[in-house]
Amino acid sequence: MDALIEKLKVQIIEQLNLAEVKPEDIKPDGPLFGDGLGLDSIDALELIVLLEKHYGIKIQNPADGKKIFESLRTMAEFIKSHGKS
Amino acid sequence: MAKKAYIIGSGCISPQNTVDNNWFFESVVSHESDHLNAIEPSYKEYINPNMLRRMGRAIKMGVTAASIATTEAKVENVDGTMSGTGLGCFEDSERFLLALLRNEEQFLTPTSFIQSTHNTVGSQIALIMKCHNYNHTYVHRGFSFESCIMDAMMSFDEGKHTALIGGIEEHTPIYIDLNQHAHKLDSHIDHKYFEGKDLGIQMGEGAAFFVLSDTNKNASSCIDGISMLYKPEVSKEILLKATQFLKQHNTSLENIDLVLFGLSGDKDLDKHLLDIIAGISKTNAVGHFKHLCGEYHTAGAFGTWLANKIIQKQNIPDAVKINLSNKTSVNTVLIINGYLNINYSFTLLSKC
Repeated sequence: MDALIEKLKVQIIEQLNLAEVKPEDIKPDGPLFGDGLGLDSIDALELIVLLEKHYGIKIQNPADGKKIFESLRTMAEFIKSHGKS
Repeated sequence: MAKKAYIIGSGCISPQNTVDNNWFFESVVSHESDHLNAIEPSYKEYINPNMLRRMGRAIKMGVTAASIATTEAKVENVDGTMSGTGLGCFEDSERFLLALLRNEEQFLTPTSFIQSTHNTVGSQIALIMKCHNYNHTYVHRGFSFESCIMDAMMSFDEGKHTALIGGIEEHTPIYIDLNQHAHKLDSHIDHKYFEGKDLGIQMGEGAAFFVLSDTNKNASSCIDGISMLYKPEVSKEILLKATQFLKQHNTSLENIDLVLFGLSGDKDLDKHLLDIIAGISKTNAVGHFKHLCGEYHTAGAFGTWLANKIIQKQNIPDAVKINLSNKTSVNTVLIINGYLNINYSFTLLSKC
């Protein structure tokens, strides 16, 4: 799980062009949106594409996104639960 | 005749050190290349990092130039924003289209598509200023920036009081490569475009924005008028149009303190303007500007920035001069700009 979280950090920084953010700045359980990493709705779309492109996972119900993208750990757990890590 | 537009603030990012509004050709930055890259500032000083990460260079340059202009003008809002660009946000267009090809139309992300549209610069400026007023982007090739001036002046006729106008262009390696196929490019090391001895243009990029007001309070200069001419066949046609334009503004070529030409550097494309320079340089002070910024659709915005500074500082930099001027003051500047021998414009600026 930890290796997957570290991999996700790098992928998120690259996909969202977070030039000022280093992997160690992103806390595994910190919120990705709002007060945490400060991501917004456009970033959510980028993360959906990231999951599809790198892990072959399509989010069928957009309402699930809020829970999946709560933190790096929830993202990693979702990927694991779909057996695509 | 439309109301005058007074320049109360300007900001410019170009291949020269113009980002510093106090800099004025103490030394010219020489680019030994067939394309001149803009000297870009540290954008973090001007743009929120969270917005910055999504912006391509055209947006960064445009938003920053607008920010410098509004800061100088000490305005927080304007009655209208008019942006001009020939190509829009080319870098993001490339990024989106390349992703489309490489991923076989799958996994398309929204950011580069959203940022690729021509009106992104104007809309980002509006978002940052929280300005809900008139916002329009002109994509009229070599008339894009000039259309902004015209729109701002017409808005003053309709009772508006301020406008933020600007021209933005960026180049990318792919765009430069395409141009190397479409035109001959040249590095013009000696910068003497006016000698008409070379073939080939020197490409450029940049952004220049201006805050215009309908009153002369705190103005550095005034735009008296703008006129455009499409595909003239002979140089006489350009000269006639210039003469008529000046007459409309109750003046004539003899009364102009500096005629500033936008030459591309290619003797064939510049043939009409070179004819005019040969004809008037005995009686008029003449200069040129595109060797400093390069050739691009909205280079007229750089020319306008330069003319405004010349009037404000009462100094014609040596780098601009084609002939020696015995003028002790510069009260009027006429810009005659040509874009690839297709779009010609005439902009009259004066001291106020």
